[in-house]
Parts: sequence; structure tokens; C-alpha cells
Amino acid sequence: MNEHIPENLDDAASVDAATHYEISSFLSNEAALLDAGHYTGWMSLLTEDIQYRMPISVTVARGDAGAEPLGGMAHFDEDYYSLGKRVARLEGDHAWTEDPPSRTRRFITNQRGFFGSTEDEYLAYSYLLVFRSRLDVRPPEWVSAQRRDVLRRVGTSLRLARRDITIDESVLRTQNLAIFL
Amino acid sequence: MDVHQVREQVEMGKIPAGVYSDPGLHQLERERLFSRSWQFLAHESEIPNAGDYVVRRILDDSFIVVRDEDHEVRVLLNMCRHRGMQVCRAEAGNASHFRCPYHAWTYKNTGKLVGLPFHMEAYGGEAGFKKSETSLASPPRTGITRGMIFACLDPDAPSLDESLGGFDFYLDLYMNHSDEGMEVRGPQRWLIQSNWKIGAENFSGDSYHTPHTHVSVVEIGLFMEPKANRRKEGALYWAGAGGGTTYKLPTDDFDKNMAHIGYPEEMVARIHDRWSTAQKKMVGEAGFMVSAATIFPNLSFVHNWPRVHEGAHVVPFISLRLWQPVSATETEVLSWFVVDQNAPQWYKDDSYKAYLMCFGSSGMFEQDDVENWTSITSVSKGQFSSQVELDSTMGMGDVNGTLREPLAGWPGPGEAHVGYGEYNQRALLRRWAQALSGQAPTNRKDGWRAPLNGDMARTTL
Repeated sequence: MNEHIPENLDDAASVDAATHYEISSFLSNEAALLDAGHYTGWMSLLTEDIQYRMPISVTVARGDAGAEPLGGMAHFDEDYYSLGKRVARLEGDHAWTEDPPSRTRRFITNQRGFFGSTEDEYLAYSYLLVFRSRLDVRPPEWVSAQRRDVLRRVGTSLRLARRDITIDESVLRTQNLAIFL
Repeated sequence: MDVHQVREQVEMGKIPAGVYSDPGLHQLERERLFSRSWQFLAHESEIPNAGDYVVRRILDDSFIVVRDEDHEVRVLLNMCRHRGMQVCRAEAGNASHFRCPYHAWTYKNTGKLVGLPFHMEAYGGEAGFKKSETSLASPPRTGITRGMIFACLDPDAPSLDESLGGFDFYLDLYMNHSDEGMEVRGPQRWLIQSNWKIGAENFSGDSYHTPHTHVSVVEIGLFMEPKANRRKEGALYWAGAGGGTTYKLPTDDFDKNMAHIGYPEEMVARIHDRWSTAQKKMVGEAGFMVSAATIFPNLSFVHNWPRVHEGAHVVPFISLRLWQPVSATETEVLSWFVVDQNAPQWYKDDSYKAYLMCFGSSGMFEQDDVENWTSITSVSKGQFSSQVELDSTMGMGDVNGTLREPLAGWPGPGEAHVGYGEYNQRALLRRWAQALSGQAPTNRKDGWRAPLNGDMARTTL
């Protein structure tokens, strides 16, 4: 796997206000598509070389920080093909786990934008809190994470070229990841 | 719920739904089942170097599984001998010593107590407290097979090999692919609001759910053929402590069948050296390849072979998973990806990808499974529903009221049947009921008998 996108960056590389607004709008628009279950629409926001990755979070001692124990396992380690299959399944009639669908609300905060390694790319860092309610009486589930995205300018709009997700739980309390983060 | 009555119902293939949520039965599971059965903790490849450790539980008992400086695998109770503090609060790492954060009692990674502050002033030295004779507690029994590290809390339990019995024949098909052995990645860990037995039963023998529960995965073309309907051509086997499902392969030739499901030649060559004639006969001549399986009570396996690239050939993956009970209605799933250490890197990458797409926390098969199991657990809690008998008699009787005959000439130990049937779910629940009523598990056949004079004749226990 490629190197991780670093968890922090020098503020000097921050984007200007107009670009920040553009990035912010992209993330809000993306969240709206996912919350509405418009998976095909979401897919159209991705570049075909997308890397979408969420490693497991392992509780380690301070002294072992930075190590990648347990073989570098992930919850998601996806490309355009596997995301496409997941979307095709959710758009079909027989993905029982999401029928009835979860009610989700993605809250995206603490956004920071940075200039990327090439002129047409930006790094977008954000915090994500997902509220997920299934069926009528089940207690809701929360998923908290950080996203580190690479957004690429394609024509006049932005596309998601890479997403690294840091999940804040070692043991997930949501019953599955039939939702995208 | 009365365990003896439940046991009688289970023998008949009539499962009172409350077994999937009853807190009283779960308490008995804790006392009589999980404290007496061999429990999987970790795979040796998780701790390759001296000092490497992982922390794993047997229900509420926390154990450090560590490779000491002499490369011995140790299983140590994660509890200081002084005041009971956890001496390790990480999940994994590397340490030569574990130091209690409370009073700094310090243990070598063999478990031996080597540091005790103010030993002389506080205890009067060795005369007052035998530091030299004190270690972290260890479970009474530990055992390793095929790199898999197990522990058992019952000093009188049969050995690990004896407990596995004939299932070890099938274990090789998942966990024995080269001289150097397998390596694992993970586990992914997540909590599901489901009783642990439902997953264990499902993996042991439910080929019947695949065509419906997993139809979406077939529809998106993840497989090279519409495989779900082919489940009925597979055999279900049970031997010793476990049982599983298989797929029927297209030829009677071992190499061709292995190639068909995506094993590259070099891996097949290594497997040739590791599997017995009978094991190869099962996959070759008989043409059955293992898919899901469970070792009683709560360790499961899965092996399947999806496409991981557009238009490409299929690639197999193997997963090992533990259904760790938290309560009667909650389970922590620990799911590992398993691959031959010697597999080429491209194969490891593709096989890992195949695993992630299909199973685990984000897997497209597993997503639909867990929704079913959560729902069953939730609805079984009712005053009324908990008493309703769920039907688990599939394969028990035909019009003559006799058991369907086992497959003749099955190359492996135990018994196998072709077609849909709930032989294994019954075998698993029978062992469970035996354990809860305080008996050692046996491999008795289904206890059901032909209806006599219109009545169901109940088997005496």
C-alpha cells in the first residue's frame, strides 16, 4: 500500500478562502448524496484511480506508536472496481442489510485545505461524525473518524482521488460497514 | 429456560427461539461451556518476534499471548498478582516486561515476577513474600496446532488434538498450505447485537441461506458463475468437534480443481506436499472444496473465490473468525485474513482484497448475514416468541421418517451429506445442550425417530 497521507500538515500550505469554500462545498454535497442513498451519484464524484482506505485502529502503547501491528489490516481497502461493486449491490433490490435503509446523517467539521503535490490536487482534512439509525427501536450508532482526502480538479469540478480514514474505535460499534464514510 | 427441556427439543431439531437470547442459558454457557472448551486466542504469525504480544479474551478473562525471549509462546492472565490491575492495556505491541501501573510490580514476558518495589521494606524480602516463586497466572491448558494458539480453562479437559478429533483433517484445507505455514492479518473487530451461536451455526452448515441471503453478491457478478444455486450440489460434513459446507467442483482432477478456483501452480505444488492422499481425493476425485466451517463452540472459517478485478479470473481467500460472546444478545466478532506465508505477493494482495469485499466488517456477504442474526436475536427475546420452536429438522427425515443416508465413499473422517440439510447446526446445538446440562460432548447421531402412530416419539436422553 502507498504511504499514508500524513495526519497533519504545515499551515503554510493552506489554500485560499475561495478554494476552501469549494472544497467545503464538495464535502457537503458528497455527504448529502450519501445520506440520501444516491450511491451512483456518489460514484460519479470519484476518479477512476481512487484509493479508499480505512485501516483498523489498534490500541497500542505510546512506545509502539507509529507501528502498524496486526499485519496492516483495514476495514476498507478499495479501488474503483470494488467500490463499484459495493455501489451496484446497494443500488440493487437485494442488499437486505440496507432494506429498510439506515437513516444516516454525516456531520463534517474541522475542515482544512492544503495545496497538494500537483497543481490540480488539494488535500482536504476533515472530521466526520456519522449518525446511523436502523429500523424503529434499535439504539442509534455513531461512527467518528478523520478523513484525509485528495481532491483533484477535473474540468471545472473536483473529484475524490483518494480518501484515508482514521476510525476512532478499535472495536466498531456499528453492525457493519454497509455505509461509506 | 429449563436446560433439560431445551436439550430434548434440540435433539428433535426443534429449537426454542429463546436459546438465542436467554440470559439464564448464557450464564450456563459461561460456567459449563466456555470455561471447559478449547478457545482460540491468536495465530503464531501475529507474534513472530521475541517480545511480540497480543491481548485476547476468553469471555471476561483477559490473556496476554506473548513470544518470550526464548521464542516460546506464553499465555499469561492479564492481571497483576497484587491488586488485580491489568498489566497490559494495549491490544498488541512488543515488550520484554509488563509493569503494573498501580504499584510497579514487573513481570518478564515469561510471566515471572522480577520487580517488586521495596521488597525488603514492605515484605521483609523473600522470607516474607516469595517473589522468586510468583508469576502471572496461566490458563491450565494451552495448545498450538497449525500455528493456531488455543487455551482451555479446564485442567481436566481432553487435549486439543483429542478435542478436535476428525475435524483436523478439514483444518488442513484452511490452515496448512506450506511447510512454513500461514500468516494472518487482523483481526478486524466489531460488535453485533446477535447471539454468538447464530453465526457459529450458520458457518457450520447453512448452505441453504446462500441462494437468498447472498443473491445480491451473485447479481453484481462477483463470481464467475451463478454460484448460489450450486450450493445444493455441495456436501455438508461433520467430524469430531466441527463441521462445514463445501462446493462441488467441476472436475475429478485435483490440479484442475485447484486452478479452477484460482490457486496458482506454485501454491498448488506446495499444497501437494502438505495434504494427504485422502485430502487431495476430497478436492480431486470427489470434487468437494471446503467453504464455511465451525469448530464447536465458536471458531469459524470461510474459504471462497470471487473476482477482484474486472473480467479477471477468481482468487481464493481464507478467513478465520471468532464469535466472542459479550452477553446473551451481543457478540464481538474477530475476523482475520489468512494466507500462505509463501504465496506470491500479487496473490496475497488479491486474496486480501477478495476477503475485504466478501467478509469482515465491510464484507458484502457478512453485511447481510449480520442483519439476519441481529434480527433473530432481537425478536427471540419475547415472552411468547422465546418459547416458539424454530424448525431445524432439515435432512432429518424423508417420507419414511428415516435420516437421509450419508454419502458413501466420502474421503474424509466423519459423515457427509450432499444437498441442503441442518445436520451440522443440530450437531452443534446438540453439543451445546450437552455441555449446558453438564455432559461431555459426543457425536451422537440425530436423535429423531420416525413418527409412531401419528405421535412424535421423543428420544430418551
